[in-house]
Amino acid sequence: MDLTFTEEQVMLRDSLAKYLERNYDFEKRRGFVAAGGHDAKVWGDLAEMGLLALAAPEARGGLGGTVVDLAAVAEIMGARLLAEPWLPALPSALCLAHGAPGAAADAALEGLLAGGAPIAFAHEEGRGLAEPARVAMQAVRDGDALVLTGAKRYVLAAETASHLVVSARVSGAAGDRAGIVVALVPRDAAGMTAEAYDTIDGRRGANLRFDGVRVPAADLLAGGDGDGAAGCDLLDAALAPTVLALCADAVGAMGALLKITSDYAQARKQFGVPIGSFQALRHRIADMAMSYQKARSTMIVTAAMMEAGSCAPRDLRLLKGQVGRMGRSLGESAVQVHGGVGMTDELAVGHYFKRLLAMDAMYGAGRMHLRAIGAAAA
Amino acid sequence: MNLEMGEALEAFREEVVAFLDANVTPDLVEAGAKTTSVFAPFEQAMRWQGILAAKGWAAPNWPVDHGGAGWSPEQADVFARECEARGLPPLLPHNLKMIGPLLIDLGTPEQKAKYLPGILSGEDFWCQGYSEPNSGSDLASLRCMAVSDGDDYVITGQKIWTTYAHHANRMFLLVRTSTEGKKQEGITFLLLDSMDLPGLTVKKTIGLDGYPEQCEVFFDGVRVPKANRVGAENDGWSVAKHLLKYERGGGSPGPALRRRLAALREAAARADDGMGGVIADDPAFQERLGALEADIVSVDYHFRHARGGGDPARDPAYPSMMKTMSSEASQALSVLMIEVAGLEGLPRQLEALGVGANAAPLSDGFDMVAMPYYLNTRAASIYAGSNEIQRDLIAKVVMAG
Repeated sequence: MDLTFTEEQVMLRDSLAKYLERNYDFEKRRGFVAAGGHDAKVWGDLAEMGLLALAAPEARGGLGGTVVDLAAVAEIMGARLLAEPWLPALPSALCLAHGAPGAAADAALEGLLAGGAPIAFAHEEGRGLAEPARVAMQAVRDGDALVLTGAKRYVLAAETASHLVVSARVSGAAGDRAGIVVALVPRDAAGMTAEAYDTIDGRRGANLRFDGVRVPAADLLAGGDGDGAAGCDLLDAALAPTVLALCADAVGAMGALLKITSDYAQARKQFGVPIGSFQALRHRIADMAMSYQKARSTMIVTAAMMEAGSCAPRDLRLLKGQVGRMGRSLGESAVQVHGGVGMTDELAVGHYFKRLLAMDAMYGAGRMHLRAIGAAAA
Repeated sequence: MNLEMGEALEAFREEVVAFLDANVTPDLVEAGAKTTSVFAPFEQAMRWQGILAAKGWAAPNWPVDHGGAGWSPEQADVFARECEARGLPPLLPHNLKMIGPLLIDLGTPEQKAKYLPGILSGEDFWCQGYSEPNSGSDLASLRCMAVSDGDDYVITGQKIWTTYAHHANRMFLLVRTSTEGKKQEGITFLLLDSMDLPGLTVKKTIGLDGYPEQCEVFFDGVRVPKANRVGAENDGWSVAKHLLKYERGGGSPGPALRRRLAALREAAARADDGMGGVIADDPAFQERLGALEADIVSVDYHFRHARGGGDPARDPAYPSMMKTMSSEASQALSVLMIEVAGLEGLPRQLEALGVGANAAPLSDGFDMVAMPYYLNTRAASIYAGSNEIQRDLIAKVVMAG
């Protein structure tokens, strides 16, 4: 058993961390976020480092990175609050890389790997989809094409994307694994409207409305043959590494937030002494450290399990639920230790905190994953 | 990263399984099921130690020339998990994780020859005389006096929270031999050859569960030869600190907690929720159970992360974190246990809790064990350095980092 990163992974993490330290400190980030969170130069640099090609297999022009590679770099991105849509585009890249090839899919994937526009993932519905089988948005056959009607929520990077990877249901009811299609849709497809917004954690998102958007059969990545579970399987295959990377990102944010808070407690004085000398506050910091360690070890072991092919859906739920719960608790404590300034937009503290809150709500709230674990033994 | 166990480890697992299949008897499993604190029922725990000692597996972590098994950490882990899967009682730590390793490191050749065989075989049982009524977390303030008198020390004072002193035939203890200088500098580490020495009295303490596990030990002019001293006079504090190294080198609490969690889940599936269903189907219970399982698993993963050479292996706060996280996970588990047991957890069933008892549980084994386990588990955040002390240590490391 070896739960350490390989030499290559350590080097990749180090070079990414150094790059972000030079080019993406908190003040610079503020500028990038104000401009929409997606900067062509930074995105191009990520592509140059190979990060955009990491998820795709070599046969599809990628670098054939492992899930541990993804977690390894995501942790660094979280620690630096990277707002670039690397994570939001990850499930799309995985769907394109592992779905059915086609002229449009190949071109879109090639563009993404080369540092072109991101490809957004239009999957979440309602208050969050904990599992692909709950997709409800309607896809109706019309000759060789599918016609999409319905709504998608919280589609990150929808404005800057060239394409969207969209999940929809061609048959069955929400909860059925069968009957789901995964389609590639151009951003400017007729019949699609977007209501865009800033998210609490410095990203750009949108709620999308599909009113009879036509998708030719050639642009289906999975599920085109009818009522099988291929679409659901593809979404599962894309979401497992994505949720792992999302959790690794959150763990990175937790580690950074713990460090910032511990430093602040030693610098800030009240009653003539550092507030970090007060036991009530020290114990809160000890709790933060334990939350961080539990979350990080769960992420690392789950990553190793996924790489070994032994990570069941239940193991992923456990990771998502635990990191979400630990992250929120750590973030709340970080704000409390900082006192009033922790409530301001000026400090990085609140930005880390909100990144953790966003993570907990995405791809099924932690609450729901934990309930599912409680409801059924392995 | 790599989770592979390797073929050699798989072969080892098979050897362990074969040994356990051949040697585990029903009374041992019963003792495991009726373990309601960190300390298993005495008689069966010591019998199991004897069986393991004969095989050379009682103290796998000891140096091989003193009877250790020479196992890798992974082998120790496999063994622990196989034992836990069968519900076997944990061995008592006093001989094997405390005084034995300490004497191997710091004992005189005479002390090693005299004591180590009985420590390993379980023929002797050693109790630990550390805490005093006014010296708990602030252990170095202890006042049980040992006065030099020729070749002997004469001990007068009191010890408290001495686990299983009423079963012990030997004792290791800290005494004060000097009141000069810093409080840590006047402490000496002694060995008692018997619990029947003139002037020595053991008084059992009835715990919240109604069972005597802890004792008070009184000393009124008890004579101990100076040859029974470990380390130098007034240097007992560094001897005691050395021992901490072994106390902290524990395994994962994960397997034991997961076994209790599985029992909780089964019990919840039969437990009436008072609203026409069973507790297991209550969404609020499900969410709490899920959060608890996630927490228990993450403590186990933290252990594995350290075992696998990750960052926790080099974290000075790791032992304090594992102690705090494990104890609080077990407490959270115990809360759900008494909630599921409900009214059925309230009868006190001391007789039925005895191994080999003629009395059957009033409802079932889970209900019988839930409340004593809950009550005893309150101690988990108090003993071995209270969790407040552990949090002080953790914060110190975090804030120095």
